[in-house]
Amino acid sequence: MAAVSGLMRRPLEQVSGLLRRRFHRTAPAALQVTVREAINQGMDEELERDEKVFLLGEEVAQYDGAYKVSRGLWKKYGDKRIIDTPISEAGLRPICEFMTFNFSMQAIDQVINSAAKTYYMSGGLQPVPIVFRGPNGASAGVAAQHSQCFAAWYGHCPGLKVVSPWNSEDAKGLIKSAIRDNNPVVVLENELMYGVPFEFPSEAQSKDFLIPIGKAKIERQGTHITVVAHSRPVGHCLEAATVLSKEGIECEVINMRTIRPMDIETIEASVMKTNHLITVEGGWPQFGVGAEICARIMEGPAFNFLDAPAVRVTGADVPMPYAKILEDNSVPQVKDIIFAIKKTLNI
Amino acid sequence: MRKMLAAVSRVLSGVSQKPASRVLVASRNFANDATFEIKKCDLHRLEEGPPVTTVLTREDGLRYYRMMQTVRRMELKADQLYKQKIIRGFCHLCDGQEACCVGLEAGINPTDHLITAYRAHGFTFTRGLSVREILAELTGRRGGCAKGKGGSMHMYAKNFYGGNGIVGAQVIHDKDEDCMLS
Repeated sequence: MAAVSGLMRRPLEQVSGLLRRRFHRTAPAALQVTVREAINQGMDEELERDEKVFLLGEEVAQYDGAYKVSRGLWKKYGDKRIIDTPISEAGLRPICEFMTFNFSMQAIDQVINSAAKTYYMSGGLQPVPIVFRGPNGASAGVAAQHSQCFAAWYGHCPGLKVVSPWNSEDAKGLIKSAIRDNNPVVVLENELMYGVPFEFPSEAQSKDFLIPIGKAKIERQGTHITVVAHSRPVGHCLEAATVLSKEGIECEVINMRTIRPMDIETIEASVMKTNHLITVEGGWPQFGVGAEICARIMEGPAFNFLDAPAVRVTGADVPMPYAKILEDNSVPQVKDIIFAIKKTLNI
Repeated sequence: MRKMLAAVSRVLSGVSQKPASRVLVASRNFANDATFEIKKCDLHRLEEGPPVTTVLTREDGLRYYRMMQTVRRMELKADQLYKQKIIRGFCHLCDGQEACCVGLEAGINPTDHLITAYRAHGFTFTRGLSVREILAELTGRRGGCAKGKGGSMHMYAKNFYGGNGIVGAQVIHDKDEDCMLS
């Protein structure tokens, strides 16, 4: 009785507010996913979606993959689709895993002459929908024959698409796009990034989450200088940008995501805004990714907007040494990026 | 007290006697060399093949044993250091396989050329480098055989060309000199 009379006494707005009352929604806790899990998810979804997709490579089946990237896939899909030894059959869409891209040099004749050039040489008759993936570049203490970066080597060849993911979102989206692409795609992952967790946005959790090949992403907006990188150095650039923003320098960090076809438009638009450019990569300087970016900037409209020469930050021009102190100084570090930025800005 | 003194004197006199008798026993029961039969190889377009018997002398036997023991101890230490993360990257050990490198070295001359895959520590030792140089290389020090720049898989010595990380890279062709691929 008392409750009813209480209701009667309440003003109209409060009653309608009661009717309008919704459940309180907490934002879902951000999902943290490592790069390894993202690649695994991407491959799992594509294996499920298209039965012509299969994975082959060293230790990918029962051992769950040399770096555990293909964990669980053999148990789920069996011997027919997750294969430890290479075979070739028509009409299928192989994913070929290299334990590291250094070993791809043994197979590079097949990658270039049989995969990359075939669609052109056949006049469009024979597409080669194959994905080559594996860790690329320097790892920790694996010395000269296991630390080379192949971005420039593969990026040089027409007929190939070359992508280089940095975080988990990149890894999943790019591997899925690579598998769905009818061209040979080289996916240059990074061993040191496999275990690093990143926030996984909700759209990335969808089974149709694709990142278009040939589109770069601006990871951080800035006004003073454009910093272009791919793969692991993107993280170092973001760290450098954080340090420099305390000094009032705002860096625009671009994650290339794709090496070939390069998204030069995004870089040009950014250079036209900031007037300064540095490129960062783990590979050797001569004829590298940075060299290509600088050449293309010169050939395009952005050249007239540059206030200073573009600077490349690269790995040292030596075979990767084994000793830790030498190895640490042979790859670009945050301090090298900061030094290059300050040099370009004349600070 | 007396019993204790008697026991002590017996032990002391026993110690002085034993070595002499032991030496006598050794020369009576142990041979100075051993003969081994080797399985005959099938021959193709050759008149004669490798010998079917070989003799291992006591000195050689002891020398090989000492080399194998050294390699074993070196590899076990490298294993420990690897687990302590003092050795980084890859560390392919040959403890248990010492006879491969020692036996191979026994069959070739120091002037012959040798190249191998990544399990190279034993071969580096048998080709003449010291344990100190090998361990220094594994731990990335300047005193190492490649000045710390090569690491486990890239050790070089005279007439020894590593240490190759890529499987199959050790397959090379050499017509003029004796070349061993391992």
